[in-house]
Amino acid sequence: MISVTDLHKSFGKVEVLKGMSCEIAASEVVCLIGPSGSGKSTFLRCLNLLESITAGTVIINGHDLGDPKLNKITVRKDVGMVFQQFNLFPHLKVLDNIMLAPLKVGKKDRPATERKALELLDKVGLSDKADAYPSALSGGQQQRVAIARALAMDPAVMLFDEPTSALDPETVGDVLEVMKRLAEEGMTMVVVSHEMGFAREVADRVIFIDEGLIVEEGKPSEMFDTPRHERTRAFLRRVS
Amino acid sequence: MGDLLTYLPPLARGAGMTIILCLIVGVAGSILGFVIGLARASSIGVLRWISAIYTNFLRGIPLLIILLFTYFALPLLIPGAVFSQLMSGAIGLTLFVSAYIAEVVRGAIESVPRGQYEAAEALGLGFFNKFRYVIVPQAMRVMVPPWVGILLAMIKDSSLVSVIGFVDLTQAGKIVGTTTMQPLWAFVVVGAVYFFICYPLGRFGRWYEKRLSISLARPPGHTADLRAGDLGPA
Repeated sequence: MISVTDLHKSFGKVEVLKGMSCEIAASEVVCLIGPSGSGKSTFLRCLNLLESITAGTVIINGHDLGDPKLNKITVRKDVGMVFQQFNLFPHLKVLDNIMLAPLKVGKKDRPATERKALELLDKVGLSDKADAYPSALSGGQQQRVAIARALAMDPAVMLFDEPTSALDPETVGDVLEVMKRLAEEGMTMVVVSHEMGFAREVADRVIFIDEGLIVEEGKPSEMFDTPRHERTRAFLRRVS
Repeated sequence: MGDLLTYLPPLARGAGMTIILCLIVGVAGSILGFVIGLARASSIGVLRWISAIYTNFLRGIPLLIILLFTYFALPLLIPGAVFSQLMSGAIGLTLFVSAYIAEVVRGAIESVPRGQYEAAEALGLGFFNKFRYVIVPQAMRVMVPPWVGILLAMIKDSSLVSVIGFVDLTQAGKIVGTTTMQPLWAFVVVGAVYFFICYPLGRFGRWYEKRLSISLARPPGHTADLRAGDLGPA
Protein backbone atom coordinates (compact mmCIF):
# COMPACT_ATOMS: atom_id res chain seq x y z
CA MET A 1 0.00 0.00 0.00
CA ILE A 2 2.77 2.43 0.96
CA SER A 3 6.30 2.03 -0.26
CA VAL A 4 8.97 4.49 0.85
CA THR A 5 12.48 4.23 -0.53
CA ASP A 6 15.37 6.38 0.69
CA LEU A 7 13.20 9.40 1.49
CA HIS A 8 15.10 12.64 1.96
CA LYS A 9 13.48 15.92 2.93
CA SER A 10 15.22 19.23 3.48
CA PHE A 11 13.87 22.59 4.46
CA GLY A 12 16.32 24.90 2.76
CA LYS A 13 19.72 23.77 3.99
CA VAL A 14 18.41 21.77 6.91
CA GLU A 15 17.99 18.08 6.17
CA VAL A 16 15.20 16.68 8.31
CA LEU A 17 14.65 13.25 6.74
CA LYS A 18 17.94 11.59 5.93
CA GLY A 19 17.03 8.55 3.91
CA MET A 20 14.09 6.63 5.32
CA SER A 21 12.75 3.45 3.81
CA CYS A 22 9.80 1.35 4.81
CA GLU A 23 6.91 -0.67 3.49
CA ILE A 24 3.40 -0.54 4.88
CA ALA A 25 0.91 -3.17 3.80
CA ALA A 26 -2.81 -2.70 3.32
CA SER A 27 -4.80 -2.85 6.58
CA GLU A 28 -1.61 -2.49 8.58
CA VAL A 29 -1.60 -0.11 11.54
CA VAL A 30 1.82 1.44 12.00
CA CYS A 31 2.78 3.73 14.86
CA LEU A 32 5.66 6.16 14.49
CA ILE A 33 7.34 7.06 17.74
CA GLY A 34 10.39 9.14 18.53
CA PRO A 35 11.62 12.33 20.17
CA SER A 36 10.39 15.76 19.07
CA GLY A 37 12.15 17.02 16.01
CA SER A 38 12.98 13.53 14.86
CA GLY A 39 11.04 13.98 11.66
CA LYS A 40 8.01 11.81 12.38
CA SER A 41 5.47 14.48 11.44
CA THR A 42 7.49 15.57 8.44
CA PHE A 43 7.57 11.98 7.24
CA LEU A 44 3.81 11.72 7.64
CA ARG A 45 3.21 14.97 5.81
CA CYS A 46 5.31 13.77 2.88
CA LEU A 47 2.85 10.92 2.42
CA ASN A 48 0.09 13.26 1.30
CA LEU A 49 2.35 15.89 -0.19
CA LEU A 50 1.69 18.55 2.42
CA GLU A 51 5.48 18.56 2.34
CA SER A 52 7.29 18.12 -0.96
CA ILE A 53 9.81 15.32 -1.34
CA THR A 54 13.40 16.41 -1.78
CA ALA A 55 14.71 13.00 -2.88
CA GLY A 56 13.68 9.39 -2.78
CA THR A 57 10.58 7.51 -3.84
CA VAL A 58 7.19 7.31 -2.22
CA ILE A 59 4.45 5.22 -3.75
CA ILE A 60 1.13 5.33 -1.99
CA ASN A 61 -1.86 3.32 -3.20
CA GLY A 62 -0.32 3.17 -6.63
CA HIS A 63 0.47 6.89 -6.88
CA ASP A 64 4.11 7.79 -7.37
CA LEU A 65 4.52 10.99 -5.39
CA GLY A 66 7.68 11.90 -7.27
CA ASP A 67 5.90 12.01 -10.62
CA PRO A 68 5.84 15.65 -11.77
CA LYS A 69 2.68 14.99 -13.72
CA LEU A 70 0.88 13.77 -10.65
CA ASN A 71 -2.10 15.82 -9.54
CA LYS A 72 -1.90 16.29 -5.77
CA ILE A 73 -5.66 16.17 -5.51
CA THR A 74 -5.75 12.60 -6.83
CA VAL A 75 -3.46 11.49 -4.04
CA ARG A 76 -5.29 13.41 -1.36
CA LYS A 77 -8.60 11.84 -2.27
CA ASP A 78 -7.02 8.51 -1.32
CA VAL A 79 -5.17 9.66 1.77
CA GLY A 80 -7.02 11.13 4.73
CA MET A 81 -5.32 13.13 7.46
CA VAL A 82 -6.18 13.98 11.03
CA PHE A 83 -4.28 16.88 12.62
CA GLN A 84 -3.14 17.55 16.15
CA GLN A 85 -5.06 20.85 16.15
CA PHE A 86 -8.18 19.30 14.53
CA ASN A 87 -8.43 22.16 12.01
CA LEU A 88 -12.19 21.93 11.67
CA PHE A 89 -13.73 24.70 9.58
CA PRO A 90 -15.18 27.01 12.26
CA HIS A 91 -17.63 28.79 10.00
CA LEU A 92 -19.40 25.55 9.01
CA LYS A 93 -21.65 23.29 11.05
CA VAL A 94 -20.34 19.85 11.89
CA LEU A 95 -22.31 18.11 9.15
CA ASP A 96 -21.21 20.69 6.57
CA ASN A 97 -17.61 20.20 7.66
CA ILE A 98 -17.93 16.53 6.81
CA MET A 99 -19.82 17.05 3.55
CA LEU A 100 -17.78 19.88 2.07
CA ALA A 101 -15.01 17.86 0.44
CA PRO A 102 -17.19 15.05 -0.99
CA LEU A 103 -19.58 17.60 -2.44
CA LYS A 104 -16.94 19.79 -4.00
CA VAL A 105 -14.34 17.23 -5.07
CA GLY A 106 -16.17 14.93 -7.48
CA LYS A 107 -19.13 13.24 -5.92
CA LYS A 108 -21.91 15.77 -6.06
CA ASP A 109 -25.02 13.87 -5.05
CA ARG A 110 -26.17 15.79 -2.03
CA PRO A 111 -28.71 13.39 -0.48
CA ALA A 112 -26.27 10.46 -0.69
CA THR A 113 -23.43 12.55 0.71
CA GLU A 114 -25.63 13.71 3.56
CA ARG A 115 -26.64 10.15 4.42
CA LYS A 116 -23.02 9.04 4.38
CA ALA A 117 -22.01 11.98 6.53
CA LEU A 118 -24.67 11.16 9.12
CA GLU A 119 -23.50 7.55 9.15
CA LEU A 120 -19.93 8.64 9.79
CA LEU A 121 -21.06 10.98 12.52
CA ASP A 122 -22.91 8.09 14.12
CA LYS A 123 -19.83 5.94 13.81
CA VAL A 124 -17.79 8.40 15.85
CA GLY A 125 -20.62 8.73 18.34
CA LEU A 126 -21.70 12.30 17.62
CA SER A 127 -25.02 12.02 15.77
CA ASP A 128 -26.61 14.64 17.97
CA LYS A 129 -24.02 17.24 17.02
CA ALA A 130 -24.74 17.43 13.31
CA ASP A 131 -26.07 20.98 13.47
CA ALA A 132 -23.60 22.32 15.99
CA TYR A 133 -20.68 24.55 15.18
CA PRO A 134 -17.17 23.35 16.07
CA SER A 135 -16.81 26.07 18.71
CA ALA A 136 -19.57 24.40 20.72
CA LEU A 137 -17.72 21.09 20.91
CA SER A 138 -15.04 19.89 23.26
CA GLY A 139 -11.60 19.03 21.90
CA GLY A 140 -12.26 15.30 21.87
CA GLN A 141 -15.54 15.82 20.04
CA GLN A 142 -13.89 18.10 17.50
CA GLN A 143 -11.21 15.51 16.84
CA ARG A 144 -13.81 12.81 16.32
CA VAL A 145 -15.59 15.06 13.83
CA ALA A 146 -12.23 15.60 12.14
CA ILE A 147 -11.85 11.84 11.82
CA ALA A 148 -15.34 11.56 10.30
CA ARG A 149 -14.49 14.41 7.94
CA ALA A 150 -11.36 12.63 6.73
CA LEU A 151 -13.26 9.34 6.33
CA ALA A 152 -15.93 11.04 4.20
CA MET A 153 -13.59 10.95 1.24
CA ASP A 154 -13.33 7.12 1.47
CA PRO A 155 -9.56 7.13 1.76
CA ALA A 156 -7.45 4.02 1.35
CA VAL A 157 -5.01 5.25 4.00
CA MET A 158 -5.53 7.39 7.10
CA LEU A 159 -2.70 9.48 8.52
CA PHE A 160 -2.85 10.66 12.12
CA ASP A 161 -0.47 13.41 13.25
CA GLU A 162 -0.43 13.29 17.05
CA PRO A 163 -4.22 13.12 17.17
CA THR A 164 -4.53 13.19 20.94
CA SER A 165 -1.64 15.44 21.94
CA ALA A 166 -3.86 18.52 22.26
CA LEU A 167 -6.62 16.83 24.24
CA ASP A 168 -7.54 16.66 27.91
CA PRO A 169 -6.67 13.24 29.30
CA GLU A 170 -10.35 12.35 29.78
CA THR A 171 -11.20 12.80 26.11
CA VAL A 172 -8.09 11.05 24.78
CA GLY A 173 -9.77 7.72 25.41
CA ASP A 174 -12.81 8.53 23.25
CA VAL A 175 -10.66 9.39 20.28
CA LEU A 176 -8.43 6.34 20.69
CA GLU A 177 -11.59 4.20 20.82
CA VAL A 178 -12.66 5.51 17.43
CA MET A 179 -9.20 4.90 16.04
CA LYS A 180 -9.16 1.39 17.45
CA ARG A 181 -12.48 0.55 15.79
CA LEU A 182 -11.20 1.96 12.53
CA ALA A 183 -8.18 -0.31 12.78
CA GLU A 184 -10.37 -3.31 13.50
CA GLU A 185 -12.34 -2.56 10.35
CA GLY A 186 -9.18 -2.94 8.36
CA MET A 187 -8.15 0.65 7.61
CA THR A 188 -4.52 1.19 6.74
CA MET A 189 -3.32 3.66 9.35
CA VAL A 190 -0.08 5.51 9.97
CA VAL A 191 -0.12 7.13 13.38
CA VAL A 192 2.37 9.53 14.90
CA SER A 193 1.67 9.41 18.59
CA HIS A 194 3.03 9.40 22.10
CA GLU A 195 0.23 7.12 23.26
CA MET A 196 2.29 4.01 23.92
CA GLY A 197 -0.73 2.17 25.25
CA PHE A 198 -2.50 2.59 21.93
CA ALA A 199 0.59 1.48 20.04
CA ARG A 200 0.96 -1.61 22.18
CA GLU A 201 -2.71 -2.55 21.87
CA VAL A 202 -3.63 -1.64 18.32
CA ALA A 203 -0.50 -1.28 16.21
CA ASP A 204 0.74 -4.11 14.01
CA ARG A 205 4.13 -2.47 13.89
CA VAL A 206 5.97 0.29 15.71
CA ILE A 207 8.68 2.32 14.04
CA PHE A 208 11.14 4.32 16.12
CA ILE A 209 12.48 7.38 14.35
CA ASP A 210 15.33 9.55 15.56
CA GLU A 211 17.16 12.37 13.78
CA GLY A 212 15.52 11.73 10.44
CA LEU A 213 16.25 8.01 10.26
CA ILE A 214 14.44 4.82 11.15
CA VAL A 215 16.39 3.38 14.05
CA GLU A 216 14.32 0.32 14.77
CA GLU A 217 11.01 -1.23 13.89
CA GLY A 218 9.10 -4.26 14.94
CA LYS A 219 5.98 -5.63 16.57
CA PRO A 220 4.85 -3.61 19.62
CA SER A 221 5.73 -6.37 22.07
CA GLU A 222 9.25 -6.64 20.62
CA MET A 223 9.80 -2.88 20.56
CA PHE A 224 8.52 -2.11 24.02
CA ASP A 225 9.71 -5.18 25.88
CA THR A 226 12.94 -6.02 24.11
CA PRO A 227 14.25 -3.06 22.16
CA ARG A 228 17.53 -3.81 20.41
CA HIS A 229 19.07 -0.37 20.08
CA GLU A 230 20.32 1.74 22.93
CA ARG A 231 18.69 4.88 21.53
CA THR A 232 15.33 3.12 21.48
CA ARG A 233 15.82 2.02 25.05
CA ALA A 234 16.81 5.53 26.11
CA PHE A 235 13.73 7.02 24.46
CA LEU A 236 11.37 4.45 25.94
CA ARG A 237 12.86 5.04 29.38
CA ARG A 238 12.21 8.74 29.07
CA VAL A 239 8.59 8.41 28.04
CA SER A 240 7.42 5.68 30.38
CA MET B 1 -35.27 80.07 6.12
CA GLY B 2 -37.83 80.50 3.36
CA ASP B 3 -34.86 81.00 1.09
CA LEU B 4 -33.52 77.64 2.11
CA LEU B 5 -36.67 75.82 1.05
CA THR B 6 -36.35 77.06 -2.52
CA TYR B 7 -32.78 75.87 -2.49
CA LEU B 8 -33.77 72.39 -1.36
CA PRO B 9 -33.92 70.99 -4.93
CA PRO B 10 -30.26 71.81 -5.71
CA LEU B 11 -29.23 70.35 -2.38
CA ALA B 12 -31.26 67.26 -3.15
CA ARG B 13 -29.62 66.97 -6.57
CA GLY B 14 -26.24 67.34 -4.91
CA ALA B 15 -27.14 64.63 -2.44
CA GLY B 16 -28.25 62.42 -5.32
CA MET B 17 -24.91 62.97 -7.06
CA THR B 18 -23.02 62.07 -3.91
CA ILE B 19 -25.06 58.91 -3.45
CA ILE B 20 -24.51 57.83 -7.06
CA LEU B 21 -20.80 58.56 -6.81
CA CYS B 22 -20.47 56.65 -3.55
CA LEU B 23 -22.38 53.67 -4.89
CA ILE B 24 -20.15 53.45 -7.95
CA VAL B 25 -16.97 53.87 -5.91
CA GLY B 26 -18.19 51.53 -3.17
CA VAL B 27 -18.84 48.69 -5.59
CA ALA B 28 -15.94 49.25 -8.00
CA GLY B 29 -13.47 50.03 -5.23
CA SER B 30 -14.47 46.96 -3.23
CA ILE B 31 -14.19 44.58 -6.17
CA LEU B 32 -10.88 46.06 -7.29
CA GLY B 33 -9.61 46.15 -3.71
CA PHE B 34 -10.62 42.52 -3.15
CA VAL B 35 -8.79 41.32 -6.26
CA ILE B 36 -5.66 43.29 -5.43
CA GLY B 37 -5.87 42.09 -1.85
CA LEU B 38 -5.87 38.49 -3.05
CA ALA B 39 -2.84 39.31 -5.18
CA ARG B 40 -1.13 40.85 -2.14
CA ALA B 41 -1.71 37.66 -0.16
CA SER B 42 -0.76 35.39 -3.03
CA SER B 43 2.14 32.98 -2.97
CA ILE B 44 3.15 34.17 -6.44
CA GLY B 45 5.98 36.68 -5.97
CA VAL B 46 5.24 38.76 -9.04
CA LEU B 47 1.62 39.30 -8.07
CA ARG B 48 2.58 40.24 -4.54
CA TRP B 49 5.20 42.65 -5.77
CA ILE B 50 3.04 44.47 -8.34
CA SER B 51 0.09 44.80 -5.98
CA ALA B 52 2.43 46.08 -3.25
CA ILE B 53 3.60 48.90 -5.50
CA TYR B 54 -0.02 49.71 -6.25
CA THR B 55 -1.15 49.88 -2.63
CA ASN B 56 1.96 51.64 -1.31
CA PHE B 57 1.75 54.27 -4.00
CA LEU B 58 -1.95 55.03 -3.67
CA ARG B 59 -1.85 54.99 0.10
CA GLY B 60 1.02 57.45 0.12
CA ILE B 61 -0.65 60.25 -1.82
CA PRO B 62 -3.40 62.55 -0.55
CA LEU B 63 -6.80 61.93 -2.10
CA LEU B 64 -6.93 65.58 -3.11
CA ILE B 65 -3.82 65.18 -5.25
CA ILE B 66 -5.17 61.99 -6.84
CA LEU B 67 -8.41 63.74 -7.76
CA LEU B 68 -6.67 66.82 -9.15
CA PHE B 69 -4.29 64.59 -11.08
CA THR B 70 -7.06 62.49 -12.61
CA TYR B 71 -9.03 65.51 -13.71
CA PHE B 72 -6.30 67.95 -14.77
CA ALA B 73 -3.10 66.05 -15.41
CA LEU B 74 -4.23 62.74 -16.89
CA PRO B 75 -5.67 64.29 -20.08
CA LEU B 76 -2.28 65.93 -20.66
CA LEU B 77 -0.42 62.63 -20.25
CA ILE B 78 -2.78 60.41 -22.19
CA PRO B 79 -4.40 62.15 -25.15
CA GLY B 80 -8.07 61.38 -25.22
CA ALA B 81 -8.21 60.59 -21.54
CA VAL B 82 -10.58 63.39 -20.78
CA PHE B 83 -13.04 62.52 -18.09
CA SER B 84 -16.14 64.26 -16.94
CA GLN B 85 -16.07 65.52 -13.39
CA LEU B 86 -18.16 62.56 -12.25
CA MET B 87 -15.85 60.08 -14.00
CA SER B 88 -12.69 61.73 -12.66
CA GLY B 89 -14.09 61.76 -9.21
CA ALA B 90 -15.20 58.15 -9.51
CA ILE B 91 -11.88 56.95 -10.91
CA GLY B 92 -9.77 58.84 -8.42
CA LEU B 93 -11.84 57.75 -5.44
CA THR B 94 -12.03 54.15 -6.64
CA LEU B 95 -8.26 53.86 -7.01
CA PHE B 96 -7.75 55.48 -3.61
CA VAL B 97 -10.26 53.29 -1.79
CA SER B 98 -9.16 50.08 -3.51
CA ALA B 99 -5.63 50.43 -2.11
CA TYR B 100 -6.89 50.56 1.47
CA ILE B 101 -9.38 47.75 0.95
CA ALA B 102 -6.63 45.65 -0.62
CA GLU B 103 -4.52 45.88 2.52
CA VAL B 104 -7.49 45.00 4.70
CA VAL B 105 -8.25 41.98 2.52
CA ARG B 106 -4.61 40.89 2.63
CA GLY B 107 -4.51 41.13 6.41
CA ALA B 108 -7.74 39.18 6.72
CA ILE B 109 -6.58 36.37 4.46
CA GLU B 110 -3.27 36.16 6.29
CA SER B 111 -5.11 35.94 9.59
CA VAL B 112 -6.65 32.60 8.63
CA PRO B 113 -4.51 29.96 10.41
CA ARG B 114 -2.20 27.78 8.35
CA GLY B 115 -3.98 24.68 9.67
CA GLN B 116 -7.10 25.64 7.73
CA TYR B 117 -5.16 25.62 4.47
CA GLU B 118 -3.63 22.27 5.36
CA ALA B 119 -6.93 20.69 6.31
CA ALA B 120 -8.54 21.89 3.08
CA GLU B 121 -5.61 20.65 1.02
CA ALA B 122 -5.48 17.31 2.82
CA LEU B 123 -9.14 16.78 1.91
CA GLY B 124 -8.30 17.26 -1.76
CA LEU B 125 -9.84 20.71 -2.19
CA GLY B 126 -8.26 22.50 -5.12
CA PHE B 127 -7.10 26.12 -5.13
CA PHE B 128 -10.45 27.74 -5.93
CA ASN B 129 -12.56 25.51 -3.73
CA LYS B 130 -10.12 25.99 -0.88
CA PHE B 131 -10.34 29.76 -1.09
CA ARG B 132 -14.02 29.96 -1.86
CA TYR B 133 -15.33 27.62 0.83
CA VAL B 134 -12.69 27.66 3.54
CA ILE B 135 -10.35 30.64 3.49
CA VAL B 136 -12.41 33.57 2.24
CA PRO B 137 -15.47 32.89 4.45
CA GLN B 138 -13.18 33.00 7.47
CA ALA B 139 -11.37 36.06 6.18
CA MET B 140 -14.71 37.85 5.76
CA ARG B 141 -15.29 37.91 9.49
CA VAL B 142 -12.01 39.75 9.99
CA MET B 143 -12.46 41.94 6.93
CA VAL B 144 -15.91 43.41 7.45
CA PRO B 145 -15.35 45.96 10.25
CA PRO B 146 -12.35 47.73 8.68
CA TRP B 147 -13.91 47.45 5.24
CA VAL B 148 -17.09 49.19 6.35
CA GLY B 149 -14.89 51.77 8.03
CA ILE B 150 -13.12 52.48 4.75
CA LEU B 151 -16.42 52.87 2.93
CA LEU B 152 -17.73 55.22 5.60
CA ALA B 153 -14.58 57.31 5.30
CA MET B 154 -14.95 57.28 1.53
CA ILE B 155 -18.47 58.70 1.73
CA LYS B 156 -17.14 61.63 3.66
CA ASP B 157 -13.93 61.92 1.62
CA SER B 158 -16.10 62.11 -1.49
CA SER B 159 -16.78 65.68 -0.47
CA LEU B 160 -13.34 66.48 -1.92
CA VAL B 161 -14.63 66.07 -5.46
CA SER B 162 -16.04 69.52 -4.98
CA VAL B 163 -12.56 70.88 -5.71
CA ILE B 164 -12.71 69.72 -9.30
CA GLY B 165 -16.03 71.45 -9.60
CA PHE B 166 -18.26 68.41 -9.43
CA VAL B 167 -21.57 69.45 -7.95
CA ASP B 168 -21.91 66.88 -5.22
CA LEU B 169 -23.61 67.47 -1.90
CA THR B 170 -20.72 69.55 -0.51
CA GLN B 171 -20.39 71.70 -3.59
CA ALA B 172 -24.17 72.21 -3.64
CA GLY B 173 -23.96 73.24 -0.02
CA LYS B 174 -21.20 75.73 -0.76
CA ILE B 175 -23.19 77.25 -3.60
CA VAL B 176 -26.42 77.42 -1.64
CA GLY B 177 -24.60 78.79 1.38
CA THR B 178 -23.01 81.65 -0.51
CA THR B 179 -26.10 82.38 -2.56
CA THR B 180 -28.43 82.56 0.41
CA MET B 181 -25.74 84.08 2.56
CA GLN B 182 -26.74 81.59 5.22
CA PRO B 183 -23.82 79.18 5.19
CA LEU B 184 -24.62 77.89 8.66
CA TRP B 185 -27.98 76.43 7.70
CA ALA B 186 -26.68 75.14 4.41
CA PHE B 187 -23.86 73.21 6.02
CA VAL B 188 -25.99 71.92 8.86
CA VAL B 189 -28.29 70.41 6.25
CA VAL B 190 -25.32 69.08 4.28
CA GLY B 191 -23.82 67.53 7.40
CA ALA B 192 -27.13 65.95 8.30
CA VAL B 193 -27.52 64.43 4.85
CA TYR B 194 -24.04 62.91 5.01
CA PHE B 195 -24.92 61.48 8.37
CA PHE B 196 -28.09 59.89 7.03
CA ILE B 197 -26.16 58.41 4.11
CA CYS B 198 -23.54 56.96 6.43
CA TYR B 199 -25.78 55.66 9.17
CA PRO B 200 -27.47 52.81 7.23
CA LEU B 201 -24.05 51.61 6.09
CA GLY B 202 -22.83 51.50 9.66
CA ARG B 203 -25.92 49.58 10.75
CA PHE B 204 -25.55 47.15 7.86
CA GLY B 205 -21.93 46.59 8.82
CA ARG B 206 -22.85 45.73 12.39
CA TRP B 207 -25.64 43.42 11.24
CA TYR B 208 -23.32 41.60 8.81
CA GLU B 209 -20.66 41.24 11.49
CA LYS B 210 -23.20 39.68 13.81
CA ARG B 211 -24.34 37.26 11.15
CA LEU B 212 -20.78 36.16 10.52
CA SER B 213 -20.16 35.61 14.23
CA ILE B 214 -22.95 33.13 14.74
CA SER B 215 -20.59 30.23 14.30
CA LEU B 216 -18.35 31.57 17.07
CA ALA B 217 -21.14 31.79 19.62
CA ARG B 218 -21.21 29.28 22.41
CA PRO B 219 -24.44 27.86 23.82
CA PRO B 220 -25.41 29.46 27.15
CA GLY B 221 -23.90 27.75 30.18
CA HIS B 222 -21.14 26.18 28.13
CA THR B 223 -17.84 26.06 30.04
CA ALA B 224 -15.48 28.41 28.34
CA ASP B 225 -11.89 27.13 28.64
CA LEU B 226 -9.84 27.88 25.58
CA ARG B 227 -9.61 24.75 23.51
CA ALA B 228 -7.09 24.01 20.80
CA GLY B 229 -8.71 24.58 17.45
CA ASP B 230 -10.96 27.44 18.59
CA LEU B 231 -10.59 30.80 16.93
CA GLY B 232 -10.55 32.40 20.33
CA PRO B 233 -13.09 33.76 22.78
CA ALA B 234 -16.46 34.50 21.16
